[in-house]
Amino acid sequence: MTMKLVLEHLYLVLLSVLFSTAVGLPLGIFAYLNRPARKVVLWASEVLQTIPALALLGMVMVLFGAGKPTVIIGLVLYSLLPIVHNTFLGLDNINPGIKEAARGMGLSKWDRLFSIELPLAFPMVFTGIRIATVTAVGVAVFATSVGGGGLGSIINQGIRTQNMRLIFSGTLTLMAMAVVFDAGMALIEKRMNRRATH
Amino acid sequence: MIRFEHVTKKYGDSVILDDLSFEIKEGEFAVLIGPSGCGKTTTLKSINRLIEPDAGHIYVNGKDIAETDPVKLRRSIGYVIQQIGLFPNMTVAQNIGVVPKRLKYEKSEILKITRELMDMVDMSYDEYGHKYPSELSGGQQQRIGVLRALAASPPIVLMDEPFGALDPMTRSSLQEEIIRLHKKLHKTFVFVTHDMDEALKLADKIIFMEGGHIIQMATPEEMLENPASDLIRSFMGKRAADSAPVQLTAADFMRPNPISVYKNRGIRECTEIMARRHIDSLLIKNDDDTYAGVVSVNSIKRSGKTTGPIGEVPLSENAVSYVTEDAMESFDKLLNSDKDYVVVLNEDDTIAGIVTKTSMAKAMADALWGDAQ
Ligand SMILES: Nc1ncnc2c1ncn2[C@@H]1O[C@H](COP(=O)(O)OP(=O)(O)OP(=O)(O)O)[C@@H](O)[C@H]1O
Ligand SMILES: [Mg+2]
Repeated sequence: MTMKLVLEHLYLVLLSVLFSTAVGLPLGIFAYLNRPARKVVLWASEVLQTIPALALLGMVMVLFGAGKPTVIIGLVLYSLLPIVHNTFLGLDNINPGIKEAARGMGLSKWDRLFSIELPLAFPMVFTGIRIATVTAVGVAVFATSVGGGGLGSIINQGIRTQNMRLIFSGTLTLMAMAVVFDAGMALIEKRMNRRATH
Repeated sequence: MIRFEHVTKKYGDSVILDDLSFEIKEGEFAVLIGPSGCGKTTTLKSINRLIEPDAGHIYVNGKDIAETDPVKLRRSIGYVIQQIGLFPNMTVAQNIGVVPKRLKYEKSEILKITRELMDMVDMSYDEYGHKYPSELSGGQQQRIGVLRALAASPPIVLMDEPFGALDPMTRSSLQEEIIRLHKKLHKTFVFVTHDMDEALKLADKIIFMEGGHIIQMATPEEMLENPASDLIRSFMGKRAADSAPVQLTAADFMRPNPISVYKNRGIRECTEIMARRHIDSLLIKNDDDTYAGVVSVNSIKRSGKTTGPIGEVPLSENAVSYVTEDAMESFDKLLNSDKDYVVVLNEDDTIAGIVTKTSMAKAMADALWGDAQ
């Protein structure tokens, strides 16, 4: 029973981070390449995150009805910010000398992006994905309120029945999940940074 | 090979390049020099279209570059910058191969070129080819930066203060290498610097800029003999002094701050100082810091004293020069004395330094071979 909820929670988190990366990475690149659009994109992803998570899920539910798709759409919107921002910053912060050399040697815009800029920005992008993942583990607790299941339902049930043990076990499982993701991805990050700076 | 015709560049109201016209010939090593902000980088970057002029035309091989695709143009012009700009995510070999790969050279061909180029700067492919830029020293990185610019064998190579961030030793060996590469490859080099020594060392032709104009364009010899303005003369100031050693003074060749002690120091203390510093004589000064004389180990031994102030030992008389004295005269004094050095005094009779036989040899070497660094 609990295992099913854990897996359900994981499923929600991973799927939404996957979509969030698929949307956020191109948006970050777009913000980097297109100066006029930059402000709007960065601002919009920031505003999304200032909306309380529960309210955001509620609004999505009104549009798409209760269920897993609503949870995933909500989570994706909510975890966009760190990915978009880190992608943009990672690209924008590359040493100008490297960019000038690439341009001066006759690499086209897309060639520069894919051969040099994105590989150099990737450790930073990955940090964004890690932050998004850890945030999603927490926010996915609200999934149960919009019919999406997950570990939030254990906590909800614990609150309803005033069962301290139930609340605890749900919370501890969530914390463990967040810590495992955080530490595991931080380890990969460290590897990448070491490779980048040798 | 490269021709500017009435090229003007403005940023807002400020004119950066003002109606610039000049030509650089095929195979020439042209060096752009001038004070900071005079437009050297702007001129250089106009050649590979990193900067587009507001008016005028630039021709490379007779073709107006405004009508050439910038990506194609840049692949036919090597580019080296001060920040080096190697790609940290690629190995040394991959960095060198960047342009050839985009020009669709065969893999084996790229490998061959990379090996040959690396051999030219004594960095073997087997040892360095698979390293990442961050594993190399600054000098090695810029060697690779230069090779990367040469890899597709472009007829023109642009370099913007490529050695500006390197220490003097490394810079000077890279200068030697770039001269060698230029002799060997017969390419047109356009090189920006603000170091006149570097310009004189490398250039076939020096282009001196100020405020977006060319003030003088001449060979190093012509410019040394006939600087067109006071600014150019001041850029070459140090150099001009070196080529006229007659005007040099004792101060130019002395070793400053020799070891000296006051008269009332103890004899034992003085012998210890000499032993520690491996010297056999000490300069002695009066209480008011004026020069009193020289005490040698031998004169201490001869006096038989082991205690008491050093001032009681008979002082010997070394020849004395003043700082403003002609260097030749103090060399003469040194040659005519039986001592190892001439004492150089300031105007107020305090000790300024000593002129030794080594100082003299260095002066002769400079006069014979030019600035020996
Ligand atoms: N993008 C820009 N916008 C406005 N002014 C600029 C810009 N780029 C350069 N300038 C100005 O143009 C002038 C010439 O610049 P340039 O970089 O060509 O000088 P330089 O001779 O290479 O100087 P340095 O020796 O300091 O490198 C400078 O006064 C600089 O401030
Ligand atoms: Mg410059």
